[in-house]
Amino acid sequence: MPRPMWTGSLSFGLVNVPVQVVGATRDLDVRFHQVRRAKEEGGTPERIEMKRVAEDGKEVPWSKIGKGWELEDGSMLVLTQKDLDAAAPAKTKTIDIESFVPLDDIDPIMFDHPYWLLPAGEGEGAARAYSLLLEVMKEAGQVGIGRIVMRAKEQLVALREQDGLLSLTTMKFAEDLRDPMDTGAIPEGDASKPSQREIDDAVSLIEEMTEDWEPTQYEDRHRERLLKLIEQKRKEGTVDLPELEDEPKPQKAPADLMAALEESLAKARGAKKSAKS
Amino acid sequence: MAARSIWNGTLTFGTVAIPVKLFSATDSKTISFKEVRESDGARISHKRLGAESGDEVEFKELDKAYDTGKGVVVLTKDEIAAADGSRPKLIEIESFVKGEAIDPVFYDKAYHLGANKGGDHAYRVLLAALEQSGRVGIGRFMLRSREQLVALRPIQGALGLQTMRFADSLVAPSDLDFPELTKKPGEKEVAMAGKLVEMLAGEWTPEAYEDTYRDAVRELIKAKAAGEEIKPAEEKEATEDNLMAALQASLEAASKTSPSTGESRATPKRPPTKKPTGPKKTTAAQAKAAAAAAKEDE
Repeated sequence: MPRPMWTGSLSFGLVNVPVQVVGATRDLDVRFHQVRRAKEEGGTPERIEMKRVAEDGKEVPWSKIGKGWELEDGSMLVLTQKDLDAAAPAKTKTIDIESFVPLDDIDPIMFDHPYWLLPAGEGEGAARAYSLLLEVMKEAGQVGIGRIVMRAKEQLVALREQDGLLSLTTMKFAEDLRDPMDTGAIPEGDASKPSQREIDDAVSLIEEMTEDWEPTQYEDRHRERLLKLIEQKRKEGTVDLPELEDEPKPQKAPADLMAALEESLAKARGAKKSAKS
Repeated sequence: MAARSIWNGTLTFGTVAIPVKLFSATDSKTISFKEVRESDGARISHKRLGAESGDEVEFKELDKAYDTGKGVVVLTKDEIAAADGSRPKLIEIESFVKGEAIDPVFYDKAYHLGANKGGDHAYRVLLAALEQSGRVGIGRFMLRSREQLVALRPIQGALGLQTMRFADSLVAPSDLDFPELTKKPGEKEVAMAGKLVEMLAGEWTPEAYEDTYRDAVRELIKAKAAGEEIKPAEEKEATEDNLMAALQASLEAASKTSPSTGESRATPKRPPTKKPTGPKKTTAAQAKAAAAAAKEDE
């Protein structure tokens, strides 16, 4: 089981429930370690170690690392995690549910990272209070909005009942979202304005390509390819480098775009028909 | 000035190809610290050192090793890049789904898509069609040597792309270890807690929430720089045996303050026995006092 990232209490009105926060994701990345290439063919590569080194060349263990803040006079102020915890003591140790809102009203762009919220502590009372929250959240069908301070950072959180447990999803603050128009790359004006016929065709194509959302059908193919080529290198000593395909050309003329839409639509309809028969 | 894109490539939808640029949709304003040695504030740098020689090793001398269990395999960076496949510059929209069917746990990092040269017209066709249909496109592409499952949908009048977690990377409750939740809460408790939820129910207005911790950290930096002593944080007392009383006191407190405006709300139908004094954010000790008061009335 993953280790708790945070322990404290969840507070709902005046009810305080001791809880721990554990990650709801696991890292399945293929992990390499770094080595120094051998000087001559057939030599043994040397393993690399990453070390934290201070200006005087001495290695510093993780436990002796502090958080530095450069003051205006150029000197370095050192803060510890304990100091940071004390910045907002109530927030560091408590998730306060401030309000309840419908889940569907939250734009997915706000969501950040999912966690599970588990009951902590030994007491039977704590488990009972947890069960109560679970039950009531399930019935309400709404998510509780609160805040958490984790890793010296405050985040909004959405709490809800999920698969018989309370889940917590961190969220961004609205002020941390950028406006797409600031990219300067969102097309506008009459020159690129789509016609109703194009839009209708695109909508039909979207409808033809619509399926049920089945998340388990998607696997990380990159991971599979990576493991396969590691195996190839082990057995054969070489790796096949793929030939890069050209990027597809955009349909620059409106007539070409229309043709591409209709061609895709015909293909999608054909595929659906053949799947049915 | 236009923002800098982090990736350029082509988005395909059927045989329609749209040259696009990718931009981050978020901008964290968290206060970031430098890594220093706690004892004297000396700046820390991360060094790559040979485990035996102790030599500092340059990036270009590096290879990557993987322990297969049947021996260690060493690969160059180019060989690892071979796993990116033959079409690393393509975002291929494979299908469309109903947006509301996607559970929020799948959503990860958000990006804005802009049109690149020659893509303006098709970009707008796709954007308008997505807005009209309310569907979300599902596709994949390679970003930073990682395959990303992505959801494509309109975000604030532009095409937005949000990376999604693969289902096998999510931890299920059965993978977790926690005390059994056999003690079911009483009906009355559930009813009271339900009422409290109702009282706290509101509209979702993300702009109403600001990061206040950032200011607290700035204050802390000031205090520490001035040589003030920092007191450690304390934990709240858990509600153990007085669950009913805490609920009762919460309802009474909530009936006096609205969560959003702080103004008084409609009074509850049942007249409160004894009103606890103080604001909504009462301490556990005050809650206990209120609980004791409630008991006296029974």
